[in-house]
Amino acid sequence: MDSALIGQSLVSGLGIGCVYGLIGIGFCVIYNASGIVNFAQGAFVMLGGMITHVLLVRGQLPYFAAIVLSVLVVALLGVVIERLVVRPLWKRNAPMFVMILATLAAQIVIERLTFLAVDDQPKTLPVFTDLPPIMVGGVAVNIQSLWIVAGSLAIVGLLALFFKGTRTGKAMRACAINREAAALQGIPVHGMLALAFGLSAGLGAIAGIMLTPTQYTAFNVGVPFAISGFIAAIIGGFGRPFGAFLGGLTLGVVQSVAILSFGAGLKTVVALSVLLLFLFVRPSGILGAAK
Amino acid sequence: MTAFPSPILEARNLSARYGQVQALAPIDFQVGAGELVAVLGPNGAGKSTLLRAILGLVTNAGEVAFMGAALPRRNPVAVASRGVVLVPEGRGIFGPMTVMENLELGAYRLKGREERQRRFDRVFELFPRLKERLGQAGGSMSGGEQQMLAIGRALMADPKILLLDEPSLGLAPRVTDEILETLGVLNRSGLPVVLVEQRAPQALKLAHRAYLLSLGRLVAVIDPREVQSHDQLAQYYFA
Ligand SMILES: Nc1ncnc2c1ncn2[C@@H]1O[C@H](COP(=O)(O)OP(=O)(O)OP(=O)(O)O)[C@@H](O)[C@H]1O
Ligand SMILES: [Mg+2]
Repeated sequence: MDSALIGQSLVSGLGIGCVYGLIGIGFCVIYNASGIVNFAQGAFVMLGGMITHVLLVRGQLPYFAAIVLSVLVVALLGVVIERLVVRPLWKRNAPMFVMILATLAAQIVIERLTFLAVDDQPKTLPVFTDLPPIMVGGVAVNIQSLWIVAGSLAIVGLLALFFKGTRTGKAMRACAINREAAALQGIPVHGMLALAFGLSAGLGAIAGIMLTPTQYTAFNVGVPFAISGFIAAIIGGFGRPFGAFLGGLTLGVVQSVAILSFGAGLKTVVALSVLLLFLFVRPSGILGAAK
Repeated sequence: MTAFPSPILEARNLSARYGQVQALAPIDFQVGAGELVAVLGPNGAGKSTLLRAILGLVTNAGEVAFMGAALPRRNPVAVASRGVVLVPEGRGIFGPMTVMENLELGAYRLKGREERQRRFDRVFELFPRLKERLGQAGGSMSGGEQQMLAIGRALMADPKILLLDEPSLGLAPRVTDEILETLGVLNRSGLPVVLVEQRAPQALKLAHRAYLLSLGRLVAVIDPREVQSHDQLAQYYFA
């Protein structure tokens, strides 16, 4: 096979892998703070691209402003979901599966509302910088992929700084390790959970925004991305944010090389095969499961 | 009941349940300013449940007042913020985090840098060993060191009352003595302490008063000067 073609699909695999990784980190952040697997994660990804599109096209906002505003709106929506859906159940000591189902319900509601508010047509966004692909050793690398990789690495770096270096980040880690002990230190554990939802939602939105220029967005793109992000989190070692990112890269690269070899029709099969392989061979994931 | 200074912590008719099971029958419980109060009793007596009920960590009924104002009954974060700090059974160390981070989190609600340093200095004075281990993961320390860390972390919050649930659990006698001695020092400096212990003789040496629980009920409030041994304590259970 043509080595340039393989190189290209590796690059695009890394790009999409970064996006899976960010979505996977979103899963981990909420799971660590609460034990909840948040099925609304895909809705955040979809809304990121969709709201940016609406602000850009209908609102006539400058691109950058539309992006920032969209991320903020989606992050706020994450906080609202925690307040309106999760917290009331939590206070009533609802079983975990009820809260997980509630996030699935939130996903469906958001998807339907988006369908009603916009339409069912695919929407796209302009690339961040309109430049021709650059050639690296015979491989054409499109600039949006570079934006995705660089943006994702920057976000992972910022997250590491946040969790290791700030008072709030440390408090969130403490809640993940031992929620009750955290409460006993006077750490507002409910506030930390709301923050976790806001953070995950913001990450999902950024992932969706970076991705939309190379693909498209529509009211129903959320679930497939959430599944990929979820798989990334599992193969990285569930609850390990950095592992989820590595898991995303693994999944993205394997998937795009497989598409090259077997065709795009097997994309989902490949993703699930990677998942099964990990579950059989290394069920605790690349970095080993948290807790 | 022996005389005690005006109560700083006062629980009335405090009871607690896990689901349908009542683990603590209504109890009146007081801690005077500057007192060290021991809570004694066999396994399953309800000692931990009493502390957890005071904090609001378990479904409870009754009233608890601290420094003259009611404590919320279902909000441990708010209770902790009032200066009522519990070192829980099993210590609750943030294992993967460093000693330094654990201590910092104890002072979570504090913003001032100088005050924070003052608290660090005080903790290091009481537990010099923690200062040598600042970069080590809390969970990788010995049991005794972890207990010191748990108490140190609680002190970082500058508690107005310190509650400890079996700090000696799983520790060698010498380490236990060291830790109990430190609690004595803290108490003599004016800090009210509630100490849940199974090692009654050691606890009674420090305590001003002791509550004796059994099967979720208060059996007696005793004056430590009158009771020094297990045998003497046993009399209360059969009374
Ligand atoms: N989470 C729980 N769910 C149900 N019952 C519980 C729970 N925790 C404690 N209990 C019950 O409540 C009663 C009192 O338990 P508690 O832990 O307060 O005893 P304790 O005096 O602290 O004992 P120990 O010395 O063993 O720590 C026991 O009968 C125990 O089985
Ligand atoms: Mg106990």
